[in-house]
Amino acid sequence: MAEICIKDLSVVYRDGDHSLLALDQTSLELKAGRITALVGESGSGKTTLGKTIMGLLPENAELEGSIKLDDEQIIGKDESDLNRIRWSRIAMVFQNGPANLNPVLRIVDQVAEPLVQHHGMKKSDAVARAREALQGMGLRPDLADRFPHELSGGEVQRTLLAMALILDPEVLILDEPTAALDAMAKSFVARTIRNQRSRQKAILLITHDLDLARGLADNVVVLYLGQIMETMPAKDLFADPCHPYTLALSRSYPTLEATRDLGGIRGDGFYRVMHAHAQKERPPREHSHIAAPGFSHETGHVIHAGCLFEPRCTQSVGECRKEAVPMFPAGDHMVRCVRRGIVTLLHLESVSKRYDRTTALRPTSLELRAGEIFCLVGETGSGKTTLAMIAAGVLNQDQGGRSFEGRDMDRWIREGYRSLARRIGVIYQNPADAVSHRLSVLDIVAEPLKIQSEVREPSEIRDRVRRVLADVHLSTESEFLRRYPHELNMGAIQRVCMARALILEPAFLVADEPTSSLDPSVQAKILKMLLDVQVEKGLTMLFVTHDIGLARKIGDRIGVMLAGRLVEIGPAARVLAHAAHPYTRRLIECAQGEEEQSALGADLPGSAACPYAARCDRSEERCLSEPPPQPLRLDGGGHVVWCHFPMRG
Amino acid sequence: MESSRGIPSLHHSIVPRVSKDPWLLAGAVLALVLAMAVLIGPYLTPYDPNDMAFQPLSPPSAAHWLGVNDGGMDILSELLYGLRNTVGFGLLTGIVALGLGVAAGLAAAWFGGPVDHITMRFADILLAVPAVMILILMAAFFRLSPVALALLLALLYWPTTAKGIRAQALVVKSRLHIYAARQMGGSGVYIIRHHLLPELFPLYLIGFATKARMAMFMEASLSFLGLFDPSRKSLGMMISYALKYYYLDVWWNWLLPPILCLTLLIMAVTLLVVSLEKVFNPRLKEA
Repeated sequence: MAEICIKDLSVVYRDGDHSLLALDQTSLELKAGRITALVGESGSGKTTLGKTIMGLLPENAELEGSIKLDDEQIIGKDESDLNRIRWSRIAMVFQNGPANLNPVLRIVDQVAEPLVQHHGMKKSDAVARAREALQGMGLRPDLADRFPHELSGGEVQRTLLAMALILDPEVLILDEPTAALDAMAKSFVARTIRNQRSRQKAILLITHDLDLARGLADNVVVLYLGQIMETMPAKDLFADPCHPYTLALSRSYPTLEATRDLGGIRGDGFYRVMHAHAQKERPPREHSHIAAPGFSHETGHVIHAGCLFEPRCTQSVGECRKEAVPMFPAGDHMVRCVRRGIVTLLHLESVSKRYDRTTALRPTSLELRAGEIFCLVGETGSGKTTLAMIAAGVLNQDQGGRSFEGRDMDRWIREGYRSLARRIGVIYQNPADAVSHRLSVLDIVAEPLKIQSEVREPSEIRDRVRRVLADVHLSTESEFLRRYPHELNMGAIQRVCMARALILEPAFLVADEPTSSLDPSVQAKILKMLLDVQVEKGLTMLFVTHDIGLARKIGDRIGVMLAGRLVEIGPAARVLAHAAHPYTRRLIECAQGEEEQSALGADLPGSAACPYAARCDRSEERCLSEPPPQPLRLDGGGHVVWCHFPMRG
Repeated sequence: MESSRGIPSLHHSIVPRVSKDPWLLAGAVLALVLAMAVLIGPYLTPYDPNDMAFQPLSPPSAAHWLGVNDGGMDILSELLYGLRNTVGFGLLTGIVALGLGVAAGLAAAWFGGPVDHITMRFADILLAVPAVMILILMAAFFRLSPVALALLLALLYWPTTAKGIRAQALVVKSRLHIYAARQMGGSGVYIIRHHLLPELFPLYLIGFATKARMAMFMEASLSFLGLFDPSRKSLGMMISYALKYYYLDVWWNWLLPPILCLTLLIMAVTLLVVSLEKVFNPRLKEA
């Protein structure tokens, strides 16, 4: 039963004039019986943290701050005291498995060694204990006498675990314990780690495997360039990340749960270099800056006063660059973000819309977070486009309110629609109609610039147009700029429309069935490009589609619409795998090729009934007499359904 | 190069097209000849058309290519001055009527509601008014100048143009690219200037051409009836005088030239309009 308390730990690797700032004021607690996962890109300082706790940093490392094992200060202890603690109270499994074993010794001897060293046990007893321990790790008895190179990666990893656990330490540090393992071996290692937790060990799990972190850990600490960006309960890692970096990281990870993965994070983070310009300034002032690959010292020399993630962040504002950011509490998370985590970009509150006698949209509320892609699915006439256009600010709702970037949108529209329009791009369903056939490509794409009168210089307009055309993978030749829409194919026109929507670098993009008029191969290209652009520019997107399969591929969240209401909202993977509304299930089944039995349009709009009651094979008395109830939250997360009898499982 | 109206640059597409399109070629040549006649013709003739200095009714000769009329005036000079007056009258009426029609039609389509209602009912009333009668009465009673008559005619002629513009503007207004421009924050003025007006381009040509044609014919008719100042030369008046001497053998040198001029004038306008529409509409270009 021990606890580790790290407070304001900074680590600098001194290396001539240019030093590496590996950890910056890191504070962290490891509690008995809990697994804390440390995640982040390579170079974020994960391993340094582990090694610091073990007191295994190289000579050139300079430390500041404190690490306490219970109440005992580890930093500054001399080597002999450290040796006493090391392995017997704190043990570590290093990354790159086989490299940590002595190739000329049998593994059983290596596992036995700590027993001899620390407990002064007799060699033969120690070997016997080691043999047991290896078997406990699920290794065949005959493997114990082999040499490291005769073992597979999984077996080496288990050997290392056995070695770390042989003295039954109170604190366990695992550095990428599953990095090179297949799924089976990984799950075995995970089980072993879980066993250790139940034995009240304090465990630090350093990993880039977010699935493992989510599945195994109690809480997750996200590290970026030596700073903790967010700490949170592990279950929220994919479902409810709070820091933009965590969202981007989780979106990059190829998990089976999420449907949209491999998103990547724009830009590169690399190292934080500390140095002083002795020639230029006297006395030399030491400062740190981020060195990204591909930048020379001079070009990459941007001193970051503010948030470290700011250059790559999708929601950064001026304030982010001003000063170092402390951690803020956000629910049960702690987040290092001046904006208190990912902001709500758009908020619709009970908006509704009627066209003469038809009700297009019943009171509907929706919140979009910055940087997410929200897919709106549903059959034709379900109010998708109406909702999307209200969200885009082109259509005014009859009732309800909406806010954009924290400002009342309706007031914004009245007071200066143009500045709102600057922030929102729209891509329409029918590209050919969305452009004037009298305008050339240049004029079409430059139109927002002209309307917003941001740029007047023709050469600059051309440059901007060329840049955005390159973004959407179109030609930037002058010849192409002179073309007219009727000379282009549909896919190209749609890209021109996208370029037009993106040229002002809006914060919010509304795409209304942008690919429904395109053939599948063009659709695939355009969607890929759109996702790339979304990651690069950090757009928030509202994507309207009737194709739930498509929504699954691109959406972070899905909202299902039926007869002017949202009937289900949730993370894309959850909605697809565990749809709770019968209508959503039906949509998925139809997308999978099942035939629709009941006639379309058999809904009972306007009446008190659930709009799906007439078509639902689970409908009961209550469905016909009462409208669907208040939104029902499923599994505590963001999965919400409006149904009397939601389906489980 | 890329004008905001989307009208292709001159040297790029119009010049090679002229040689390919026989209609445009014919229209352009006719218009050019007539324009030359209108612009510089009067300076080429050595005679004042009102100068009654020659032997009346003399046949064509080297000195008087088309002969001399009953009053001793040079017919060619008369013809050139008359043509100028007729064309001027037509152009003035055409331009003013087009301007009024576009303004009224656009206003009706853009604002809709009461503006639309009032404009269109007023147009209906004007459509029911017989223009010839009004002009005859006004010319006879008030001795209005030709310019005043041309303007009056324009005031009577705009409704058809306005109706066409309004109908098309309503169609264009509901198009997605205008919705998109509005979404981008384009003001009403911007959208009218950059999206509506260029989109209606063919209607201007047609509107202008029909009105100009009708006005030219009207001018000829009024002067045929003798409602203008007799000293003002006009194709209609020439025809009217020539007809008085139909029993003499003068029809080919006195009657035919003004009739031919009027016909060619109207033909030129028609040909030009038909082919220019093709040039200015990028989508029709390919057809």
